[in-house]
Amino acid sequence: MIHNTKCECGHQNPVGTVLCESCGKPQQDEDSAELLEMRYDGVARRSQKQQKNWIDQIWSFLSSVKVAVWLILITLIGASLGTIYPQQNVFVGNIDLAQYYETQYGTLGKIYYMLGLHDTYGSFWFQGLLVLIGASLVVCSLDRVLPLYRALKKQQIRKHLSFIKRQKVSHETRLDLTDGETAEEWTEKFEQVLRKRYYRVHRDGTALLAEKYRFSRWGPYINHIGLIIFLLAVLLRSMTAWEVDYVPIQEGKIAQIPGTKYYLENQEFRVEYYEQDELTPEFREQGRTIEKSFETDAVLYECVDNCDNPSMEPELNKLKEQTIFVNGPLTYQGLSVFEVHFEETPQLLHVQAQLRMKGPDEVIGTLDLDIANPQDVYTVGDYTLRVIGYYPEVSFKEGRFVTLSNDPNAPAFVFLIEGPELPEDGYVHVYMVRPVDQAQFQQDVLNETAGSPFELSVASMEDLVISDYTTYFNVKQERTMPFIWTGATISMIGLILGFYWHHRRIWLRIDNGVLTIGAHTNKNWFGIRQELTNALNKAGVEVDAKTIANEVNGS
Amino acid sequence: MIRKQKWLQLLILCGIVAAGFLAIGGSLFSQEEKPPEKGDAMLDFTLDGLDGQANSLASYKGQPIVLNFWGTFCEPCVREMPLLERFHQEHVDEGLQVIGVNLNEPVVSVRSFVRETDVSFQILLDKDVVRKRYGVLYFPTTFFIDKDGTIQEILIGEMTEPMLLSALNKIGVKGQPGGST
Repeated sequence: MIHNTKCECGHQNPVGTVLCESCGKPQQDEDSAELLEMRYDGVARRSQKQQKNWIDQIWSFLSSVKVAVWLILITLIGASLGTIYPQQNVFVGNIDLAQYYETQYGTLGKIYYMLGLHDTYGSFWFQGLLVLIGASLVVCSLDRVLPLYRALKKQQIRKHLSFIKRQKVSHETRLDLTDGETAEEWTEKFEQVLRKRYYRVHRDGTALLAEKYRFSRWGPYINHIGLIIFLLAVLLRSMTAWEVDYVPIQEGKIAQIPGTKYYLENQEFRVEYYEQDELTPEFREQGRTIEKSFETDAVLYECVDNCDNPSMEPELNKLKEQTIFVNGPLTYQGLSVFEVHFEETPQLLHVQAQLRMKGPDEVIGTLDLDIANPQDVYTVGDYTLRVIGYYPEVSFKEGRFVTLSNDPNAPAFVFLIEGPELPEDGYVHVYMVRPVDQAQFQQDVLNETAGSPFELSVASMEDLVISDYTTYFNVKQERTMPFIWTGATISMIGLILGFYWHHRRIWLRIDNGVLTIGAHTNKNWFGIRQELTNALNKAGVEVDAKTIANEVNGS
Repeated sequence: MIRKQKWLQLLILCGIVAAGFLAIGGSLFSQEEKPPEKGDAMLDFTLDGLDGQANSLASYKGQPIVLNFWGTFCEPCVREMPLLERFHQEHVDEGLQVIGVNLNEPVVSVRSFVRETDVSFQILLDKDVVRKRYGVLYFPTTFFIDKDGTIQEILIGEMTEPMLLSALNKIGVKGQPGGST
């Protein structure tokens, strides 16, 4: 049997319509006196279709508010799981995560790691939940806003009597007209009263539709658009933003920011400590030195060639130079370099030693030693100094020189010096940069035993370049913040629109001296009752708020 | 009207599926290279040797490879060098390739060490790149790779002769204990 959807007013309604699109007459429950369900003005929604194919089933699932609330709850619980133990992104350096969680937190920690909860917010199920929430937002909104917009766009002025009488605010009374006044004149008078209250009034003889603040109905949908933009920005962020924490760079050196094509140079480091009289008594007692401020002159580079090639020097392009201080990062195109920590790590960078023959004070030449990158051969005057041994942290073990580490904390060189008027095999000469090492390992005795006639030494402290500090940097790149702010702002605008203004409509018709008036709002019924009461009283109809409240359904 | 709606519905659902793939797929299939474990394939790299020539690991595929990460400052590494050198000389004719990857030391240090200790197997100079890719945290670490390029054994710490023999066995090299020098 085909369901007849033509209203008695003559308008053909889509299947599923609750209130006629034209006159508002209820399509079901025609004889009841119950209050009308005014949601979306009673128009048919896609998700309420009776015959559902698979697309419709998915659609109606996603458009359900109940489902949306469940999704949010599940996401909330899932997110809280990520706060139980520290997530994997707080760890610096190479740590065996599986080991760490098990040893630190026991079996629970092991289970935590196995379930993938150490990266809760990056896990596939969490991201999936966010996508579902986004989908629900989109479908919920579209399912409701399109029919609502159509319904509110073409509103009839003269509504069916049952429509007006079954509104939540409704009143029917005999109109007492003062002498000479016609019904139409009274309607016009009432129209003016309403206009003063900022209503937009459409009049058709003795029927009237007054409406104000319709834009507030779009508030929730604008809010949802903002949230969708926010979620999309979050999705984009999870794919494009990155952070590298605790990158140590010694003063005077350039280092690569691990995992990126950026290089950072620490040109100079300065620290200022508090004076004793600037400290409070408690701190003074502790006898510590507290840093007042520290800053690094840094230069940011980008690698343009030979970047992944360990055997070749990368070609660097300078991007920006800036002095970084705490909370004053170097920023470049969404990249931020923060200074987070520093340590005193005195290290020798460069030595300019003078080559002399033992005896005469005459300097043959200067040996320019780059401690970090020593060459194979140096030429000083007429002599060639070939590096046959280099020990960054020299020590003596089992009769030979060894190095304890790769850090130049106690550099020592063994040269083979060849040149004019020297024996063919040349002379072996040991040079230790630090006087303390020279003394400890008896450098001069060694050279004498080897028969070297040379002397290598620095003239003064000016010939040494020592860098004292290492700055630790935190580098991150974030380009999606503008989108996140946009989404949040739009969301806020939507909320304000929806909360501070309320859509109010008043329908009125006079039939044979009987005034029937009804009103509807989406929020703040108290307000519209007051307003309507005042308006009617002003127009000469004595009512009070209680009279017009339609208590048929006892709500 | 209805046909247009259905088309819109389908379009939106497709958009959601696409977003879902991006989000979920992004976290499921992360492209970060993980350090290889036993049973994984070896990671190819190219490093310079002491002679300045570039060498790639892949060029040795088809031969069993012993990949040893070491430094002159690392005492255990230095202690096991003679053992490695001996096995290199004993089995080089069979095709065994012993490679020592030096951990970011200046060339002069490595060169003088090699000269002093008479090491003859291939030494490659790393700049902290390959070490990180292979997830080497402790020194020495030695990877034993078979002819097909699969890592059969990873030994961390100084190797004794029995350990080395057993690991070599796994990549198809039958060694003899206490061989001639």
